[in-house]
Amino acid sequence: MRVTGDIGVGERRRSHRPLRRRLLDGEALAAVVVFLLLAGLPAVISGYPIYILPQYMLFGMLALSLALLWGFLGMVSFGQAAFFALGAYTMGIAMQQMAAPVNMAYVGLLGSMLLGGALGGVIGYFLFSAGVRGSYFVIVTLALSIITEQIAVSQSQLTGGWNGMFIDRMSLTFGPLGEVSLFPDAPMYYVVLVVVAATFALLKWLSHSPLGKILIGIRENEDRMVALGVRTPLYKTGAFALSGAIACLAGAFYGTHANFVAPSLAGVLFSTEVVVWVAIGGRSSLLGALLGGILVASLSNYLSAVIPRYWQLALGILFVLVIVYLRGGIAGAIGNLMARRRD
Amino acid sequence: MITALTVAVDAASITLVLALAAFGLAIIFGLIGVINLGHGAMLTLGAYFTWATTAAGVPFMLAVMIAALGVGLIGLALEHLVIRHFYDQPFETLLLTWGFFLISTEVIKIVFGTDFRNVTNPLPLAFSLGPIELPAYRTAVAGFSLALIGGTAFILYRTALGIKIRALIQNREMASLLGLDIARTYKLVFATGALIAGLAGALISPMLSVDPYIGNIYLVRSFFVVTVGGLGELLGGTLIGAFFIGGAETIIALASSQAFAQTIVFALAIVVLRFRPQGVLGAR
Repeated sequence: MRVTGDIGVGERRRSHRPLRRRLLDGEALAAVVVFLLLAGLPAVISGYPIYILPQYMLFGMLALSLALLWGFLGMVSFGQAAFFALGAYTMGIAMQQMAAPVNMAYVGLLGSMLLGGALGGVIGYFLFSAGVRGSYFVIVTLALSIITEQIAVSQSQLTGGWNGMFIDRMSLTFGPLGEVSLFPDAPMYYVVLVVVAATFALLKWLSHSPLGKILIGIRENEDRMVALGVRTPLYKTGAFALSGAIACLAGAFYGTHANFVAPSLAGVLFSTEVVVWVAIGGRSSLLGALLGGILVASLSNYLSAVIPRYWQLALGILFVLVIVYLRGGIAGAIGNLMARRRD
Repeated sequence: MITALTVAVDAASITLVLALAAFGLAIIFGLIGVINLGHGAMLTLGAYFTWATTAAGVPFMLAVMIAALGVGLIGLALEHLVIRHFYDQPFETLLLTWGFFLISTEVIKIVFGTDFRNVTNPLPLAFSLGPIELPAYRTAVAGFSLALIGGTAFILYRTALGIKIRALIQNREMASLLGLDIARTYKLVFATGALIAGLAGALISPMLSVDPYIGNIYLVRSFFVVTVGGLGELLGGTLIGAFFIGGAETIIALASSQAFAQTIVFALAIVVLRFRPQGVLGAR
């Protein structure tokens, strides 16, 4: 395989190079360019795009949480939206506690991350320790979305039921040093950008770490990893927990940004939308997944207004075409092109 | 006593209707190992075809047959165009059938609209069996479901075609060496599964309001029916699984709400899947 963007492929050849070179491969360089462009954007434009872009960046972060499972481990989850919604609800419930001595937004963010990690850990260990794999895992995660959506509907005294829940914008407080309100769009934009970039950097670092190599080993041949003495259920559980924590944190920021969360955010349709983003962007490229999330979601928003009846259909057809003809998604295709030009 | 009997009869008819809904999936999953995430969309298509044809004045029975055949043909086309190239990559077929769901749902929305549609119940009466009142239509569908599963058992275990299909499950290479046309048998099984899904959707359509997403909830339920029952156990497994999912839902719903019952049953099904991945009936 000569896919340059592919997580972990070609690592052996590269590993003797200095650390600086290893971390700055083509994909990381491209990512730096993307994040710098995003950072410069508010200087050029303002108004609606700056309001809405953080939402798409958070969708990109949700796509990253799936890419961690799909790209590293070869497992697809149809339940990422369940974590995303859990994060948003946690944030909302935390911020309703008015008379708290600490900044409840921090509690909400930290709590959602811990809750997502714990839930992913418990469910992951429960399934992986019994060897639930592949398609069965997909079905269970699909059910997870439905269960979460139904709980959000039925526990209305906590979640607001069908009507959903209002979540205020948050402020970053620094004790005696003062505070930064995230009510205006620009500070919110930068905070989200930093969080998404940090998540990307963490996963990128992970892909080069020994831990990442073990995960890729599991993707390539789990039985062999078991034979090598690796306790694969633990690693898979860890990855699912990390993925859950990332998706939950993204959801918590989404809730405070959008000011609103409703049960459909946990639903099957939104969950599988994430799968579509990552498949189109590139299932084995972190940058591809991130951009898939940002671009497909923003295109969806734009085109749903222009051609509401045909856009979803076109997206479905595009999804099938990508699976049939372009396994690595757009990132994989670009990687192949660049590899061919170098030869 | 009579309440207990009513609940039992209710649970039995719900079990059989659910078994019917899951049977197309069980056939495709159990016989050729394809995870058909388009199953829900096939049910929905069957329901819409029935609605459209009955609305055009076609008698109900004929409409059901047209719907089943229509969905069977769509399944055949799907298999021929896409699925047959991916049989050795189960994961890709899973994604592709999901793509079929996405496309089919959007086409339904464009062609039929997103409003709730109602198919007139062809047997609106209830008849009484001793002290119990039975809705005639649901009972007829339950009886049909039992007959369909029995008929499939007959085909699988008492006909030449059944021997071929069972040989295929047991050892694909060997069956192929013995001259069995693998590609054609796969195509036949996939199209039959789609046809039965369409038939189930058509028969279920008078019992609920039809909208583009009715298949969704049946998709996950059907999967649990199939996995709880046991993959290799096509016939008994489907019935046991449907009894577990449908029966438990009915009984839990007595004490609480429908939504809560479904949550509990899904969670229970995940637990069963974890401890007995081969299903309740499957051998260890």
